[in-house]
Amino acid sequence: MSRRRCWPLLALPLLALPLLLSGCFGGNLRPLPGLNQRLAQLGASHDPQLSGRWLVLIAGRQGRQQVQLLDLERGLPVPLPGLNRADSQPISVAVDQQGERLVVVRQRDDRTELVLHRRSLMASEAIPIEPAGIPRGINLSADGRLLAVEVSRGGLWQVDLLQLP
Amino acid sequence: MLSAGILLTACGPLGLRRQPAAPLGLGAETREQPALSGDGRLLASLVERGGRTTVLLQDRRSGQVLPLRHLRRQQPHSSPSLSWTGRYLAVLVQQGPHRQAVIEDRASGRLQPLFLPAGREPQRLSLAPDGRRLAVELLDNGQRRVELFDLSALLEPDLAPGQLQSGGGPGVAP
Repeated sequence: MSRRRCWPLLALPLLALPLLLSGCFGGNLRPLPGLNQRLAQLGASHDPQLSGRWLVLIAGRQGRQQVQLLDLERGLPVPLPGLNRADSQPISVAVDQQGERLVVVRQRDDRTELVLHRRSLMASEAIPIEPAGIPRGINLSADGRLLAVEVSRGGLWQVDLLQLP
Repeated sequence: MLSAGILLTACGPLGLRRQPAAPLGLGAETREQPALSGDGRLLASLVERGGRTTVLLQDRRSGQVLPLRHLRRQQPHSSPSLSWTGRYLAVLVQQGPHRQAVIEDRASGRLQPLFLPAGREPQRLSLAPDGRRLAVELLDNGQRRVELFDLSALLEPDLAPGQLQSGGGPGVAP
């Protein structure tokens, strides 16, 4: 067989290699239909964080966005008395693995504030940003004691780590 | 040179202890989208490397940069998320014109591409600390929507010490 005629035969395995590799090492994500149906009922949603049996996210309809906490074992949203306020818009949210501590960045009037909410107390308190800055993204360790905050200061994004009491 | 993070101030109104993210010794640089491992030992964040947004994994206390075998390319990276010990790092990478969710398994050295249903563009990820589930914020017909996916057939669990492999694990309602 001439060299020119062999080319397609040689090229075929090379072209198929990426597909074979993706088949071996990749994975089609398997949706969780029951929980996804529950999530769809909340309307548009964003900024999810998973911890333990909990999923926290921001969701709502017609521009009215709220922090929502879902118990994934029961497949149900959990009430959050004392957290969502009519005069504020949540930007990002995190939860610990006990579902007890929630940290929220929210816009209230013309301020962006960082708050720690304890579910058992139904109470929130502000976490000061020092030196002053504007918080955006947050992430919480599973025990809820260590908080990483993305803060804008003087045009630069920085990461602060805070040990919570 | 890498150096340990320094405790800045002792107590605020909440009794907070502040610690800057472990410095890189490269002067002031922008750092975004922090993600802690479930045990709080590791910190992933996004930094600029050669003008490209790249995920960086560090030991939180020492600042030591930990190697990521597969994540030196396919920038910009976004939305890093870590499992309990940091064995798994989920992140969005650029694959041609699309964003692709991938998980690097630091224990086996494998990269696991995750294929979403067609036509849905991932915007943000959150990996459950035990590695069993992934929450993905998707853009679907211009609307942001969060969906949950089961990873239990793809990943070994990354469990906290003492956590049972079967059952609900941690997270008993208060």
